[in-house]
Amino acid sequence: MPIRFKALSHIYNKDMPYAHKALDHIDLDIREGVITAVIGETGSGKSTLVEHLNALLLPDEGSLEILDYEIKANEKQRFLKPLRKDVGLVFQFSEYQLFEETVLKDVAFGPMNFGYSKEEALKRAAEALKKVKVSEDHFDVSPLELSGGQKRRVAIAGILACDPKIIVLDEPTAGLDPKGSKEIIDLFVSLSRSEGKTLIIVSHDNEMVYNYTDDTVVLSHGKIVYHGPTDELFADKEKLKEFNMLEPQIVTFRNELIEKGFVLSREARTLEQIASEIAKQVKR
Amino acid sequence: MSNLVFGKYIPIDSLMHKLDPRAKLIGLFLMIAAVFVPKSWWIFLLIALLLSIALLLAKIGIRMIVQSFKPMIMMMIFLLVINSLTVRTGDILFTIGTFAVYKDAILNTMFVIVRLLLMISITTLLTATTNPLDLTLGIEWLLTPLKVIHFPAHEVAMMVSIALRFIPTIIEETMRIMNAQKSRGVDFENGKLSEKISAILSLIVPLFSVAFERAYELADAMEARGYVPGAERTRYHVLKFRFLDFLFMFICTAILAVSILSRFYL
Amino acid sequence: MSLIVIRNVSYAYNETRNAVDGVSFDVKKGDYVTIIGHNGSGKSTLAKLIAGLLPIKEGKIIVEGKEVNEENIAEIRTRLGIVFQNPDNQFIGSTVKDDIAFGLENKQVRSQDMDAIIKEYAEKVGLTAFLNYEPQNLSGGQKQRVAIAGILAMKPDIIIFDEATSMLDPKGKKEIKKLMYDLAASGDDITIISITHDIEEVLQSDDCIVLNRGKLFMHDKPEKVFEDAEKLRQIELDVPFIEKVREVFAKRKIRLKANDLEGMVEELCRSGSKH
Repeated sequence: MPIRFKALSHIYNKDMPYAHKALDHIDLDIREGVITAVIGETGSGKSTLVEHLNALLLPDEGSLEILDYEIKANEKQRFLKPLRKDVGLVFQFSEYQLFEETVLKDVAFGPMNFGYSKEEALKRAAEALKKVKVSEDHFDVSPLELSGGQKRRVAIAGILACDPKIIVLDEPTAGLDPKGSKEIIDLFVSLSRSEGKTLIIVSHDNEMVYNYTDDTVVLSHGKIVYHGPTDELFADKEKLKEFNMLEPQIVTFRNELIEKGFVLSREARTLEQIASEIAKQVKR
Repeated sequence: MSNLVFGKYIPIDSLMHKLDPRAKLIGLFLMIAAVFVPKSWWIFLLIALLLSIALLLAKIGIRMIVQSFKPMIMMMIFLLVINSLTVRTGDILFTIGTFAVYKDAILNTMFVIVRLLLMISITTLLTATTNPLDLTLGIEWLLTPLKVIHFPAHEVAMMVSIALRFIPTIIEETMRIMNAQKSRGVDFENGKLSEKISAILSLIVPLFSVAFERAYELADAMEARGYVPGAERTRYHVLKFRFLDFLFMFICTAILAVSILSRFYL
Repeated sequence: MSLIVIRNVSYAYNETRNAVDGVSFDVKKGDYVTIIGHNGSGKSTLAKLIAGLLPIKEGKIIVEGKEVNEENIAEIRTRLGIVFQNPDNQFIGSTVKDDIAFGLENKQVRSQDMDAIIKEYAEKVGLTAFLNYEPQNLSGGQKQRVAIAGILAMKPDIIIFDEATSMLDPKGKKEIKKLMYDLAASGDDITIISITHDIEEVLQSDDCIVLNRGKLFMHDKPEKVFEDAEKLRQIELDVPFIEKVREVFAKRKIRLKANDLEGMVEELCRSGSKH
């Protein structure tokens, strides 16, 4: 069952003179088991959109169906906890959520809130930490003493340990260096591919979006202006221009090659793949 | 939280907004004193009248004043009940069953309530027409004489203005951390005491660690731009008393004088 | 003559490891120098040492002929400004104009002269319409522009950008990079030291310094630094896209010589049509 937004609107400061419609009648089906990027300029409504997915924000109009839950406007929510367990949200600068005395305890905090026993929670925490490659000698250290990149991993483990069915990432790599960013993204991509988890990533990084995501949603002023396969979006120069998007260099390269008459298959997205297809055409 | 009116600055342009913050601070202190002296309803009426003119000049709507009274309603009812139970002088006004309510009880309560309402209106007049930074500058000026006893008036003012500058940032930060913890299953509204404590910890600890990080970085930024605590600096905002400021302070002094005199002659 | 001379500088936060470890290099007046390296390579520590925000315990740094130490630091700071990473944590005033005024107040500029200076530099960074704005109503890029205006208003010879674009959205990044390039090209002889992860920016600079685990790893023209992709890979640093293209085709025995993408596509076309 996909995630389904039905004419969903969200208004900040409703009934106030400075009310602001952040989402405007959003109709959207997000596919299960794939990676979807949500992009758009700052203030376009990306974060507002994803914060509905685990009911941190509730719709003012319309509704949202996700997993077995349905969230309608103006209706009291009864299933907040199970929903938040099933939909894990990793915030921007997520390291700021760390607070426990030790790394292991901090990661176990979520599972314990969701009703796992202490032993079970700690076991899950240890497994999650292994997934994000935090070594065991760090388990008993205060999370506040770790480096920025390490903290981010611990925070992410804190969400993974709750075993969510859907993971939502709000700019997971903001503020990290290129190496740290790549490690985080690789982690999530392999998680999605190996465990079939639905992944929704809010990002400003077009190169990352192009390289790793299956579908893309483009928001502008609270409305959806594009939703479809990522590669189709990036192959369409007109659209990139219309949405004021920077073209990743790999896309420029690919498009220029095609323009000059080379034949590239749709699968040839990475530099490696492009080079191997082009090499055949050059040396024929 | 956003509909809290008391103490909120309304950024518009008016005669009252133009007054020097020091004049407003001094004048309004005098006014508050004036509210506490009299025992005559006539003086209250006079103050209320002048205050209404000032509020009109400040372009503050009656709705905002009424809104700022709202939080006081419970307290007023409480006062009325207590006074009715304890004050047993004057004529009996009416009886509820066998319980008599005396005239003085109602009068006393009315006095206190009127004073309170006038005070709130005066404070609202100040805070609504003076931006927090100017208010800080005004307070710093008032505290300057204390430098004689080595009171760090300037440093305190700098601290207050930075605190004011960071309040919106910290509120934003709080919301973000709350959301992050809610996503980890924290329920800030319901739960047992132990759960409540851990919920609050999960908010406070990160908030503090972020605040400290901010403080260090801010200190670096201030130092890098040549700030040395206690060193001589010039000021971008220079406060200047003008004719209107003196006039305002004179009127306020006159009100206080009238209300003191009223104790003897009315 | 070198404007900044750094000799054998080391700094340690704790006993286990030197955050900066025996670094020496010179910066020429008017140059635009980029410093690259991972998080933890010592870049920011080095910037703080130059700006006198950390005490120099080993080695020495000389700025405009004066050694950075406690006695000279106040004077050196009037010649040097630093733009930090987090736009929020360096906005000191309550409004844009108050923030630009902050440094002027410290420099004891006369009150009556401040408005003109504030206007001049707000215009330089394109924020004239925002003078009365409070920080919460500005974007990250705008906040960084305020920080730059505040520093320019103090007329420094040297500006250090400490990952000034890393927390900004693409639009903000673009704004700030453009400002930096304009400053570098303005002919005001402003020397720029920029700590960055942005390869595109490094390619714009005159000189590039690569740090790794506190040590100076490379110091050369950016083109030269990136020529040795293998060496950069060793320390897990990214290389420009164009070098990656050259590499993947070289693996397939196709040598590309052009220095831009278009040229490379041309080359591929030519060799394609030959067959």
